[in-house]
Amino acid sequence: MSFSARGRMVNPRLGTYFGIFASLFAALFLLTLISEQLALSDRILRLALFAGPLILYAVIGGSVATQEPLGYFAAGRRVPAGYTGLILAMCAMGSTFLVAGTGAFFFIGFDALVLMIGGLAGFVFMAMMLAPFYRKFGAYTVPSYLGRRFESKGLRLAAAMVAAVPTLLVLSAELGLGASVAVRLTGFSHSALVLILAGAVALAVAPGGKRGFTWCGVAQAIATLLALCIVAATVAVIVTSLPVPQLTHGPLVRNLVRNEVNQGLQLLAAWPLQFDLPGEGLHALAKPYTSPFGAIGTVGFTIGGLMIAAGVASAPWLLPRVAATPGVYEARKSLGWATVFFGLTMLTVTSVAVFMREYVLELVMSERIGALPVWLTEVVGAGLASFDQNASGFTFDSLRFDRDGVLFALPIAAGLPHVFGYFLMTGMIGAAMLGASATSVSLAAILSEDVVQGLSWNEEANRNRVWLARCFVVIAVTCGGTLTLLAPTDPLRLVLWAFALTGASLFPVLGLSVWWKRLTKTGALTGMLAGFGTAALAIFASESGALPIPSAIAGILGLPVATAIAMLVSSFVRETSRHDLEVVRDIRVPGGEIIYDREMRRLQLKANVRS
Amino acid sequence: MIERKERKPYWRHTKWQMLASFLPFLAVMIVLPLYAEELNRSRFLGFPLGYFLAAHGFFVIALVTVASYVNRQNAIDHWHGAHEDT
Repeated sequence: MSFSARGRMVNPRLGTYFGIFASLFAALFLLTLISEQLALSDRILRLALFAGPLILYAVIGGSVATQEPLGYFAAGRRVPAGYTGLILAMCAMGSTFLVAGTGAFFFIGFDALVLMIGGLAGFVFMAMMLAPFYRKFGAYTVPSYLGRRFESKGLRLAAAMVAAVPTLLVLSAELGLGASVAVRLTGFSHSALVLILAGAVALAVAPGGKRGFTWCGVAQAIATLLALCIVAATVAVIVTSLPVPQLTHGPLVRNLVRNEVNQGLQLLAAWPLQFDLPGEGLHALAKPYTSPFGAIGTVGFTIGGLMIAAGVASAPWLLPRVAATPGVYEARKSLGWATVFFGLTMLTVTSVAVFMREYVLELVMSERIGALPVWLTEVVGAGLASFDQNASGFTFDSLRFDRDGVLFALPIAAGLPHVFGYFLMTGMIGAAMLGASATSVSLAAILSEDVVQGLSWNEEANRNRVWLARCFVVIAVTCGGTLTLLAPTDPLRLVLWAFALTGASLFPVLGLSVWWKRLTKTGALTGMLAGFGTAALAIFASESGALPIPSAIAGILGLPVATAIAMLVSSFVRETSRHDLEVVRDIRVPGGEIIYDREMRRLQLKANVRS
Repeated sequence: MIERKERKPYWRHTKWQMLASFLPFLAVMIVLPLYAEELNRSRFLGFPLGYFLAAHGFFVIALVTVASYVNRQNAIDHWHGAHEDT
């Protein structure tokens, strides 16, 4: 393996390439905007905005195809910190936190901050506890890390099973939500669009694996951010005269505080353990925007935040990203960038929710005379909201909004040309594809590396290894698509379950494997399985009503269980080998060789001697 | 490459640095939202203060925590000779 010097080289033209992509994307937007004014048919515009970006992503994915395992599984370990941070942040959000998250902020205001606080804390946890050490180790997947760290094939297989479940849940959530956004954009049927999106994801990432996902993902992230920022900034200029929605929606919030209560929105104090994030479908506004703890209780808020943080920090589709950075320092820095992008995007999402709420408040405070306002007719016509025609006037009860449609109702409410809305949908489809690519690539790597070849550490001939992973990308995407079609579930809830499952099973074991050197392989194995089992049981029990804790946060019961069992078993069964101690000692020091490569070379030598 | 006898002091230093960055952050994360109601009575930039601190404020706190941690930890690495050899 002779890549150490060459592999650290970062492509100096990255900025140029993505500058070109961003201008292409902006040009597509301007062109469609002009065409709309020139009265080009609406159908063609929608199709152009749906297919254009998909083709761009596929071209990028195809042009970074690779045969080298290092490129295929770790993007050549040469993705700079800024780009890694961008992808980390956007993958952690996916389209779920953007589309469903806007709805959550719109309906429950302050309480939805649990998503933002949890995500930010997740990156902080990851930066301090896991990321630099994982990068020093340099494994391609989380199960490979655990298997090599404890020299145990059983642990590797078990970890692969445990990691595959939440990854598949997120994959299905992202495909489902992406398809329902695409339904709004194109008007095709939902199941056809799930298939199209799954195919597009496979086409974009199968040739290049993690490398393809990296550069495609950066393009998708840029598309998402551009779409969100253009719309939010334009509305901010209209409403507040400044294009910085994140900072200037303050006076609007004050207006909400002043008037919402007068118009009949009351805060009903929540039960401490309550955790009512709005589900799919139409809802009416239920609580004043800034008052805390009306839908989510105090304890639920704290636990939910910690759960999302633990899940984000150890997610098997996020953590291996840092292994693609050129070094340990870059890995640390990338988490700083992830915090920046995540925070700014979520602040934009809150401002979108506030703008939308302001339009609704204006409506409620106005007298109903004659026909409905134009924007409300359009929003209702587009299926983003409903209005009770029998109501005597506009009240918070008579107006119902679709949770996953709030984001797309904003450009209509602001009276912008239709293309703004379509463009926003294109961006969100990009976000869904980004989330789906991240999970499908990780799932494929886990299945092909840790399950199929998990019983031997001998790496097969390079070509086979990459081709095997390619097949598994297709299989993973197919499984995700099938799950979406057969068992459609609320994406936000799926993502929260996934975070609960990883936070309960992988987070304690990964954390202890670095910070507590006496952890043994039996301890890690039992702890991980106990955490996963407890979390899964708790979720099922609470779904069936046997456990009086909301299912979104019930899974986190597994975290303390996993930690306790891992530590107890490790204290009783002492079997830490010299090799384990050496590895953990090396993980803790940033300098020196990448441990995974060294181990692989050592095993190769051993095999050669034997044969 | 780090010297053998430097490993222990290096890891002790690292551990304390991690706790010193992590515990205050965790405390803020848990306590800040609980006082939002009271803080909401005053305002800043037009935002009710509790909401502003939980959204914008927490973002800045997370950013400062990561940035200062990365900066300190890199300094610790260099101090003990544990840094990457680039």
